[in-house]
Amino acid sequence: MGNEKALKGKVALITGGSRGIGRAITLKLAEAGADVIINFFRKRSTAESAAQEARAKGVEAHIIKANVGEPEQVEDMFDEIESQFGRLDILINNAASGVARSALDLDDRGWDWTMDINARAFLLCARRAVRLMKSGGKMVSISSLGSRLVLPIYTAVGVSKAALEALTRYLAVELAPRGICVNGIAAGAVETEALKLYTADPNLPQPAWQTTPAGRMVQPEDIANLVAFLCSEQSDMIRGQIIVIDGGVSLTPVSPAKKNDQGE
Amino acid sequence: MSVEETLRKIVTRVTRKPESAFTPQTTFEDLDADSLDIVQVLVALEDTYDIEIQDEELQEIKNMGDFIAYVECKIGEKGKQA
Repeated sequence: MGNEKALKGKVALITGGSRGIGRAITLKLAEAGADVIINFFRKRSTAESAAQEARAKGVEAHIIKANVGEPEQVEDMFDEIESQFGRLDILINNAASGVARSALDLDDRGWDWTMDINARAFLLCARRAVRLMKSGGKMVSISSLGSRLVLPIYTAVGVSKAALEALTRYLAVELAPRGICVNGIAAGAVETEALKLYTADPNLPQPAWQTTPAGRMVQPEDIANLVAFLCSEQSDMIRGQIIVIDGGVSLTPVSPAKKNDQGE
Repeated sequence: MSVEETLRKIVTRVTRKPESAFTPQTTFEDLDADSLDIVQVLVALEDTYDIEIQDEELQEIKNMGDFIAYVECKIGEKGKQA
């Protein structure tokens, strides 16, 4: 973005905003001048350190503990946002979880847990966020390529991300008259702790993440840069799109050859 | 309520097992606990005692007796910080 403080004065909620991709988004939005509300599930110390980093960029940062899969906790979170800030300009639906099983091994609890956190939470948050976005706003959902590609033991998460993407399109149209832009990002494998957990089992077929046509893995900051653009006025006419950010890996079934030491 | 009693109530509620199934020698495997059960136990303990459980430290825990000792240690660490 040309203007480094393009989001100055905006208030942004980032669900799951303390670690991995969420943390990078939190810090990027803070860098762009937005006050940030960091939702976290378990690690208060990690959320506090993210908030400290954000404050060092000259913005206000607030942390709220909530499992976004639980409707009551989402309500409490928004009550707190309403009382502390009185408004919201940006909602980043990033928090994700999931039970790693193949379809036939999935039980109902694992399915519900995954769908509630990854898909329904966006609906719950969007419903409350709309009430705080009186002058319009921006919403971005963070999806993954597992919504359209079939990955080992990714069934519940992949299906939940497909639902999230469909919800993103519906919200984009339904909220457009309120001046709210809604878009999504489908990320390829992003170099995070969560990816290490997913690829830890050597018995599972390992997708070829390490090389992409772009020559490197996607980093959390790549996602954060795109989020910042989607939260800026420059993206106002992009509506309901799921933008793939994967270094081109989904375009080809063949893993590109690794570069040699000379980068050739 | 002792840590053992609290852990017994949480673990048996989450795994839907009778409290009699819980002893210091019991493992999560004995209770047919899956990864989701374990996360729910961890969250309930963190909320009850206002502690942070580090997932990587759990690899050292073999049974509920080890888990009780771990949680007591975390509560003690928190007391020292306060």
